[in-house]
Amino acid sequence: MKITRRKFLKGTALTVGTSLLSPGVSKARRRPQTWHGRERVEEIPSTCEMCFWRCGIIGEVKNGRLVRIKGNPLHPNNQGKICARGNAGVKLVYDPDRLKYPLMRVGKRGEGKWRRVTWDEALDFMTGKMNEIREKYGPEAVALFPHGSSARFFKMAMLHWGSPNFAVASFNHCRGPRDVGFKLTFGTSPGSPERIDLENTSMIVLIGSHLGENIHTGQVKQFADALSRGAKLVVVDPRFSTAASKADWWLQIRPGTDLALLLAWINVLIEKNLYDQEFVSKYTTGFDQLKRAVKDYTPEWAEKITEIPASIIRQTAVEMGVRKPSVVIHPGRHTTWYGNDTQRSRAIAILVALLGAWGRPGGYFMPTKHKTAKCPCEPEANHNNNVCKARGDGKYPFAEEGVPSHCVIEATRTGKPYPIKGWIVYGQNIIQSVPEPQKTVEAINKLDLMVVVDVMPTDPALYADLILPEATYLERYDAPIVVSNWKTPYVAFRQPVVKPLFEAREPYWIAKEFLKKMGLKDCFPCGTIIDVINRTLSPLGITTDDLSKTGVVSFPGNPFPEEPFRFKTPTGKIELYSTRLAAANISPVPVYTPVEDPPKGFFRLLYGRSPVHSFTRSINNEWLNEIMPENSVWINDEAARIMGLKRGDEVYLINQDGVREGPVKVFITPGIRDDCVFVVHGFGQRNPMMRRAYRKGISDNFLISRIVPDPETGASGMRVNFVKIEKDGKVLEYVPRGYEERIKRARAAFIKPEVKIEKVKPVQPAPQEEEEEEGC
Amino acid sequence: MAKYAMVINVQRCVGCHACELACKAEWGVPEDMHRTWVKPTHPTALKRGGGLFELVAAFYVGQCNHCDNPTCVPACPTGATYKREDGIVVVDHDLCIGCGYCVDACPYGARYIHPELKKVDKCDFCAPRLEKGLEPACVETCITGAKVFGDLEDPTSEVFKLVYEENARGITSPEVNIGPNVYYVGDDKKVDLIINKFPPRKPELPTPASLFEKLLKPLISLGVVASFLGASVAFFVQLFKGEEKFE
Repeated sequence: MKITRRKFLKGTALTVGTSLLSPGVSKARRRPQTWHGRERVEEIPSTCEMCFWRCGIIGEVKNGRLVRIKGNPLHPNNQGKICARGNAGVKLVYDPDRLKYPLMRVGKRGEGKWRRVTWDEALDFMTGKMNEIREKYGPEAVALFPHGSSARFFKMAMLHWGSPNFAVASFNHCRGPRDVGFKLTFGTSPGSPERIDLENTSMIVLIGSHLGENIHTGQVKQFADALSRGAKLVVVDPRFSTAASKADWWLQIRPGTDLALLLAWINVLIEKNLYDQEFVSKYTTGFDQLKRAVKDYTPEWAEKITEIPASIIRQTAVEMGVRKPSVVIHPGRHTTWYGNDTQRSRAIAILVALLGAWGRPGGYFMPTKHKTAKCPCEPEANHNNNVCKARGDGKYPFAEEGVPSHCVIEATRTGKPYPIKGWIVYGQNIIQSVPEPQKTVEAINKLDLMVVVDVMPTDPALYADLILPEATYLERYDAPIVVSNWKTPYVAFRQPVVKPLFEAREPYWIAKEFLKKMGLKDCFPCGTIIDVINRTLSPLGITTDDLSKTGVVSFPGNPFPEEPFRFKTPTGKIELYSTRLAAANISPVPVYTPVEDPPKGFFRLLYGRSPVHSFTRSINNEWLNEIMPENSVWINDEAARIMGLKRGDEVYLINQDGVREGPVKVFITPGIRDDCVFVVHGFGQRNPMMRRAYRKGISDNFLISRIVPDPETGASGMRVNFVKIEKDGKVLEYVPRGYEERIKRARAAFIKPEVKIEKVKPVQPAPQEEEEEEGC
Repeated sequence: MAKYAMVINVQRCVGCHACELACKAEWGVPEDMHRTWVKPTHPTALKRGGGLFELVAAFYVGQCNHCDNPTCVPACPTGATYKREDGIVVVDHDLCIGCGYCVDACPYGARYIHPELKKVDKCDFCAPRLEKGLEPACVETCITGAKVFGDLEDPTSEVFKLVYEENARGITSPEVNIGPNVYYVGDDKKVDLIINKFPPRKPELPTPASLFEKLLKPLISLGVVASFLGASVAFFVQLFKGEEKFE
């Protein structure tokens, strides 16, 4: 006790002393204070961006140094809680490997030799090169790869510059098909955060979500609360995920067959009259077409394809029917799997509609919109001239956000339909997160200019001509985070918790300076970033002064507005039969089409997340790296026994195209099927400037050397790659028991869909107000 | 007086490691050292009868158990480690000589020697934060509310309910049960799995302590008994013989 008191007094004396000596004494006093360990520290509220859930945080700052981050208890989403990554934000700011100064390439591309330059020099170089490209090829020959909160400023600048070619990561490799599937059905996406009422639900169905390993703080809290309350949980996953370990039903599905399961569920609900008949007749169109389309998709049929017992399929469907509308069928988030993804997402949306779980407690709730103002930057780009539409083949009619990445990469490699000569990569790891990296590297080698704006020396930075160091989310302001997809809607604020280190700069400043150097009209008429924020918030009657103290302002929500509902679809109803798909000559009701099976002797490559890492972004973080420094490959225990693998063995994975990744440790477990393997995404990084992450574990992305694009959205289906396992230079043989019969049985079950696409007039969807969502 | 305890709901916990890092940030725990940690049991096939198996998996969230009969306290040669009246076992850094005997004596591996300070460190339930009216840092950040902290002597507290009414269990074994005050609850199968996979190890009582415990203590006891016996014999001899007169 004596020591505590003494140290306490010491600490107090020190704090009082320093605050008296400090020149910013009046400012410092205004800040609320708290205890860090035994020391007095200042509290500064802001918003996290270790992932894109964007929790409210409070930075604890001592003498200008960030010592700890905690959750902001006022924030309606995370309510004072933050995950490991949020806690580890401290180590992002002080990561010794951070990009500190603008760097210009001096060696060969990819060699990693750099010269430090000033910002002036850097921007002169960038604008000079870009003007050269514009003169030769036009402004659309520069493409942008955006990701993150500040991506909007670069998008605005690039539109103003005249290029429509944005390869939006969060749409193309993550939530695109899911958003489009829901929009086609309900006229609106499930939102981010997803508008699922876990707080009231009596049943949760996760099909393609490993919530719990994917940590989205507020949602995981509600998930845990729901389970404690006794809500039933169905988890569909070939792997025994954390969520599966808490489930009432774990459906160990054959990978690639989710659509068959969903259609069988729909079949049971309809056949047993367990759907919400009143809701369906009042709000939906196309029920008869749907009923006809799914009539043969019985649980017995689905069993042959999914390898889930028909009785379990029927039982889970009945449970949903009995509990309707209080059933949450999670829309998933990363949904770009097999190239049939919009149709799968449509099936989920239809299931939600049949259960009447839209706008009803325990299902999906409605957004509460609050009007904000825009700080416009006049666009000059012609969207119809993006590299995808300019092909004129009419492919990917629902590529709604930007351009499919593979179109941009293809155009860069081949010069068709027109050449792309410059890439600006903002916050996106195009080597480790955009599939087919082999093609990406090939494309990079054809570029005249590649600029990377990032916090860390990521793998794309290795190939850059110019690297621009960005301030971390803890060192900058950002456009306000306006969230209507939460029962208590809120506006959250990001402000610097500490000053930017070295020569790292705010992205808004970079975008604005770029335009200035370009000699283009300043299209950010608002002035400083503070002005941008105040202008955006002006209709709400709040200012940065209010937000800087609390970090967040919440508003009363109306998650379950009075019925009747209106839907922003062409028919104004929930479209079980999609008129927009029919107009595009695509199956307007979901039908089952098989995906390619693993060839004999190959495992399907599955990948996913770990709760302590965000994609590739956090692997180099001291604390997160300590918890998980590398990934391992999950292999079924029976398969491992037959292959003679032992725990901790190091192996290589070789895919169908001969791409070899390794060495990687095996993790032998009964918790995965024997026809697939699983690795956590984000490892195996190639840039030696990332000293902790360099070559640790393996890159799933390099093994994704091919994709199947989703025909609706053009999003890249990535779970279509297969691997063999090599140990000590020898490829190990394994064929699942009954492999041939199983495949034969599944193939025999295929029913040729007999869906007539009825002639409909081309339809325009009702105008939609979109919220910007630039992360995944 | 209070008796502090922590209860971990293993059905709520998703193994996100937030607790571990909040603790690291709060107390400056060095790399590869832990005051609290999270370890997965990994998917484990358990026999269910009829030749069927069932997979179970959980996360073991570990820390100092602030035991009722802590083995670390007698192991400490300087008295730096002691149990407070409120049940919290603390290390007085002014007295700690970093000998590490307590580290070996802990059945839970909850102690480490700080490489720079050369002192022993471990979880103290964030005692300095408690004094300021704050929750332990791990509880504050726990995203699922899996960690519950409170006073077992307060019948209205949540920990009281979980420990005395909902069968929360400490990690003990038939060999090692020193009254841990960190409890696990939520799903019996998961708690069993955690206890089986991460059982308490037999405390290694360090040399000076074991010397005292095994050799010195019996000797002293023997001495005490012997002198008492001698005194009684003398007393009875005197009683029955009667006093001899001094010459």
